[in-house]
Amino acid sequence: MSGSNEVNLNESKMVVPLNTWVLISTFKLAYNLLRHPDGTFDRYLDEFLDRKVPANAKPVDGVFSFDVIIDRGTNLLCRIYRPTKGDEPPPNIIELEKPVDSEVVPVIIFFHGGSFAHSSVNSAIYDTLCRRLASTCKAVLVSVNYRRAPENRYPCAYDDGWAALNWVNSQTWLESKDSKVRIYLSGDSSGGNIVHHVALRAVESGVQVLGNILLNPMFGGQERTGSEERLDGKYFVSIQVRDWYWRAFLPEGEDRDHPACNPFGPRGKSLEGVKFPKSLVVVAGLDLIQDWQVAYFEGLKKAGQDAKLLYLEQATIGFYLLPNNNHFHTVMDEISKFVSSN
Amino acid sequence: MLPYESAASAGNAFILSSSTVGKPEIDDLLSGAGYKVRSSDLRHVAQRLERLETAMLNSSSNQLSFLASDTVLYNPSDLSSWVDSLLSEFSQTSQPLPSLPSDLSELILPNPVALDNSNIDPPTHQQLQSISFQQQQQNQAVVVTAVEEDSAIRLVHMLMTCAESVQRGELPLAGSLIGDMQALLTRVNTGCGIGKVAGYFIDALSRRIFPLANPYAGGSSTAAYENEILYHHFYEACPYLKFAHFTANQAILEAFDGQDCVHVVDFNLMHGLQWPALIQALALRPGGPPLLKLTGIGPPSPDGRDSLREIGLRLAELARSVNVHFAFRGVAASRLEDVKSWMLQVNPKEAVAVNSIMQLHKLLGSDPDRNSPIDSVLNWIRNLHPKIVTVVEQESNHNQPAFLHRFTEALYYYSTMVDSLEACALQPEKALAGMHIQREICNVVSCEGSARLERHEPLAKWRGRLIAAGFRPLHLGSNAFKQASMLLTLFSAEGYSVQENEGCLTLGWHSRPLIAASAWQAVPDADGNSPSSLGLPNGTQ
Repeated sequence: MSGSNEVNLNESKMVVPLNTWVLISTFKLAYNLLRHPDGTFDRYLDEFLDRKVPANAKPVDGVFSFDVIIDRGTNLLCRIYRPTKGDEPPPNIIELEKPVDSEVVPVIIFFHGGSFAHSSVNSAIYDTLCRRLASTCKAVLVSVNYRRAPENRYPCAYDDGWAALNWVNSQTWLESKDSKVRIYLSGDSSGGNIVHHVALRAVESGVQVLGNILLNPMFGGQERTGSEERLDGKYFVSIQVRDWYWRAFLPEGEDRDHPACNPFGPRGKSLEGVKFPKSLVVVAGLDLIQDWQVAYFEGLKKAGQDAKLLYLEQATIGFYLLPNNNHFHTVMDEISKFVSSN
Repeated sequence: MLPYESAASAGNAFILSSSTVGKPEIDDLLSGAGYKVRSSDLRHVAQRLERLETAMLNSSSNQLSFLASDTVLYNPSDLSSWVDSLLSEFSQTSQPLPSLPSDLSELILPNPVALDNSNIDPPTHQQLQSISFQQQQQNQAVVVTAVEEDSAIRLVHMLMTCAESVQRGELPLAGSLIGDMQALLTRVNTGCGIGKVAGYFIDALSRRIFPLANPYAGGSSTAAYENEILYHHFYEACPYLKFAHFTANQAILEAFDGQDCVHVVDFNLMHGLQWPALIQALALRPGGPPLLKLTGIGPPSPDGRDSLREIGLRLAELARSVNVHFAFRGVAASRLEDVKSWMLQVNPKEAVAVNSIMQLHKLLGSDPDRNSPIDSVLNWIRNLHPKIVTVVEQESNHNQPAFLHRFTEALYYYSTMVDSLEACALQPEKALAGMHIQREICNVVSCEGSARLERHEPLAKWRGRLIAAGFRPLHLGSNAFKQASMLLTLFSAEGYSVQENEGCLTLGWHSRPLIAASAWQAVPDADGNSPSSLGLPNGTQ
């Protein structure tokens, strides 16, 4: 497939609903315009093309949202989603951070995807996804607007994730009845990658994270794997494009065996003996980087960690963006179970 | 924000539906993602996305960066038009240029024929988009037209950028832009509309930037001969020259009322197209025709022919046939400033009319150290004490000192003129008229100094100059207006308009005047002083 100028688009059209196909193809096309061969990125056009929605303190489908700046030094913003209870009236501004009043309230910190370069907390696709997660899991969801590449390379996104974790941990209104904040880390694509690295820091600093949810997490490595060669260009993604994003995120001159990209690779660290959070790793069977995602799962298992792999054979990237397929519902159920089992 | 209505869903996941529940045809899920698409349009959008993908794969990075910069012109939420608009950036068809005769000298002079026009769509846009397309507006053609139109608009942007870099002296950049534009030109219909004009301007810029021998500097005698042929076809293809002639003739006729000996000095005889009508009008004058002398100025002819004399003989033939006493004199001069009034042999008892159809602007280029030719020429004209001076000029400012301003002005002017030319159905008149315009454009854009003859200035500036030179305006009367309007009815193409402008007449295409006609008389000296000692205010040279 590599080197050919033909794009075999018929295959991807057969495995996803038409509106999903249109959505992901639109992103793919728009993103093609934004990446320059010299590594620069058209940020203005990216922001222009991104469909955005504001926060809404009026509950919609039982969830309301509001934005908070959690670190004025870096202007780090989070969008917080809270489910309402039954006939509760909409909160006014002083009630936004009213203490959660259940026994156990999961607080899910969410890192959106976009290959480290695209999207924001107010991107329509992620705002919608977060609402669904908050609602399904009956959890407070904190979506983190981390700094993006190529303007902000490694480790900015991880620093921001770590800052968000500490902030959440310090919010008394987020404490469950036992005065602990029950934190889960979640994310898709680059967000999944951030989950792992923030969890690492949490473990090293003694901050408790109850679980990691990685949805199609973005990992990679120098070598080319079978899935990369088999699926290059077939289901919306190509190796060339993946490489560009790594080059934009990793420090200049680094290759894809950098531990940020390849945590259990030749330069990685084993997690043997580390009290790492339990992990749910969701892999789409038509994602060309699945070999790296499965390798991540196996790396966790080899180090004796509690990890579950949810391998969805016929799923492509972005399947979780629209609720029009079985994989979507399967995953939502799994996540819901995952955060309620403690 | 309005509360959303929730809809039933499969399983236990929520589905956010859009607030446009009343319009079921909008895809709910994509709406939640920020895109408004009708479900019925999904297939079409998908198909467009596929084609865009292929088109982008086959593009250069230059083309992609243009696409990227133009993407902000389209609303990304309206996915259906967004993909259509992006796709239109990739043009798909281009037509070959109309075939032109290979040897101009083989052309016989065409007879004046009434134009026959049908199925012409009048243009509906403003300014640069006032280019009409002759294709029928079918569904397919609409997409193709949109394709070409947007590529053509992009061409115009590039032209401006190129002109700007020329102005700044960044010739390598300008040169590379020429290459890009020529590539883009292959994807645009250069047979008509914006594509045609863009082609002319790209050619002109290219001659300016790449130092080849420039054949449009004017002056060579074969060029003069070709110019005459192109001029004649321009006369036939559109009404501008006819308007100039009729309007001037009407004014001359009125000025010669009651005069028995009249002398017309024509600054550019060409094929003498203006004069048969005047001769016939004088023949029909109540009280009988005067004695008519015509002095025709023109470039020297090549090959030892005396083309001025040949034209004179033909006019004499015509005059004899209508019983008008007629005498002709030819004055060969390659530049108007080389003509001295003694060459015209004006008799003090004659009523003199000086007729300048698009000639005075050629005198505006000058060496700043010497008297500008326009001043000396206006001076000797005045010293002839003419009964009337008829002046017709292009109504545009192509003589500004800054290249970019000239370029921009010329682009708008000639776009409008070429647009009006679309109405002509006659070939080869239309094609050769196009070449005539092309040569003018080349002179405006690619020449400088004494080679740049086409230094058009607008009526307001000419008024200033002529008044300062000691002339006063004569109002072109209602007869002239009627004559001009009647002329327009011969052209069934809607779009031409005659306007009156403080006693002068303009002919234009839609609301844009392109040609201005005015008439003047020398202000008599109160104390007999020669006007040449007057200090004259300067326009730009």
